[in-house]
Amino acid sequence: MGVRGTYEQELLQLKADIFSMGEDVIAAFRQALNLLNNPDEEEMNVLIERDSDINGIELRIHDDATMMIARQQPVATDLRTTIVAMKVSSDLERVADLAVDIVKAAKRMEQNSNEDEIKAILEMADVAEEMLREALTAYQNRDLMRAQRIATLDDTVDQKYKHYIQSLFTLSDETNAGQTTQLAFIGRYVERIADYATNLAEWIVYESNGKHFDLN
Amino acid sequence: MLASQDKNTEYEENTTTETKKTGDSVYKVDQLNLWYGEDQALKNIELDIPEREVTAIIGPSGCGKSTFIKTLNRLTEMIPSVKTSGGIYYRSQDIFDKKYKVEQLRTKVGMVFQNPNPFPKSIYENIVYGPKIHGIKDKKVLDEIVESSLKGAALWEEVKDDLKRNAFGLSGGQQQRLCIARCLAIEPDVLLMDEPTSALDPISTLKIEELVQELKKNYSIIIVTHNMQQAGRISDNTAFFLNGEVVEYDRTDKIFSSPDDKRTEDYISGRFG
Repeated sequence: MGVRGTYEQELLQLKADIFSMGEDVIAAFRQALNLLNNPDEEEMNVLIERDSDINGIELRIHDDATMMIARQQPVATDLRTTIVAMKVSSDLERVADLAVDIVKAAKRMEQNSNEDEIKAILEMADVAEEMLREALTAYQNRDLMRAQRIATLDDTVDQKYKHYIQSLFTLSDETNAGQTTQLAFIGRYVERIADYATNLAEWIVYESNGKHFDLN
Repeated sequence: MLASQDKNTEYEENTTTETKKTGDSVYKVDQLNLWYGEDQALKNIELDIPEREVTAIIGPSGCGKSTFIKTLNRLTEMIPSVKTSGGIYYRSQDIFDKKYKVEQLRTKVGMVFQNPNPFPKSIYENIVYGPKIHGIKDKKVLDEIVESSLKGAALWEEVKDDLKRNAFGLSGGQQQRLCIARCLAIEPDVLLMDEPTSALDPISTLKIEELVQELKKNYSIIIVTHNMQQAGRISDNTAFFLNGEVVEYDRTDKIFSSPDDKRTEDYISGRFG
């Protein structure tokens, strides 16, 4: 163990906590998509309630990072690792919120309709989920190449979202305005999740070299 | 994100503008080497030290930082085994030039050491000692020097009612500020500080640090410190010494956020030293 072995263990634990939180968030997102495809009122309510657990994890990570700054006075890479842990956990928490928003919008929709639109959402969501997974792996390994590839995937999501919205409103009329609105919201939530995955990639670059890059 | 953002472009610009200040240099150190007998303590030191800024010298024990700061006012030449090569230029003047008198240099370059070293005299006599040597005898002028020097060292309010008190009766932190005031009395240009707070308690340390921020408005300050947080708090530039060499010298913001050399990063983040 080096001169600051205990502190290095704390930093590793912080990163491990973020990784674990990220897996919980991806699981919530995946489940929200499953419930959009196969609605189940009871499971929807459970997912909404469980969001508070993820909020709690975010707060705990913030407390741990704050304590590390106060007690260890990190500088350079150590400081960026600590700050980025707070930023990444906040972005992940927002992704979990958006997963809840997807479920709430799904609850407001009429069931067993709009199969084509839901299929388009799921295709877009598959890419967003891949982005989140890539971001988590890149975060764990400080893999800059992987982080930068996420920007390309975000372009794919943006294109899919654009086509989705165009086709959604081409088909809409006053008889299905409520349904169309909810579908537009859900598409937007998925697109925002992809943006948060890109934010994660930007924080990974910053953690590694202290530079801010706009990957969006 | 679909909408384009400009904020990150701005961040990039901010990062790139973090370059070394290009004001006048108070010292230029050129290829300085120093040996104690056969042991080389300083190797090819090249540093430009800007005026009216605080420059911190950091590094582990034995890295040459104290030797370096002592060389700046020729304190090392009193050691018989020392030999040097290369040049140190104070305000463009070669301080090793035989025609350049050491007294002349030390009138311009004051020094504060790790342990406060007041003379065993009154507070007043400590301050006027230097000016008297320089021939000032007028009591009124000396009184003014005492007041302005003690004010400059943030000690006046604490001692003004009893200037005849023996300096040894002051606390460690007060003694160190008295030593700074004693330097200021001869109106120097540069203050060299060799670990000036390492023998002081935390509050006295913070008082000295605050004082350094005030003093840099009028003086160029070079400070050797073991305390990396102190270097981060008070300096504008930081030089990291290791095994007698300057590993990295840059703006303190850069050194403490994204140093270029891994050895610097390892040192400032406490991985060795």
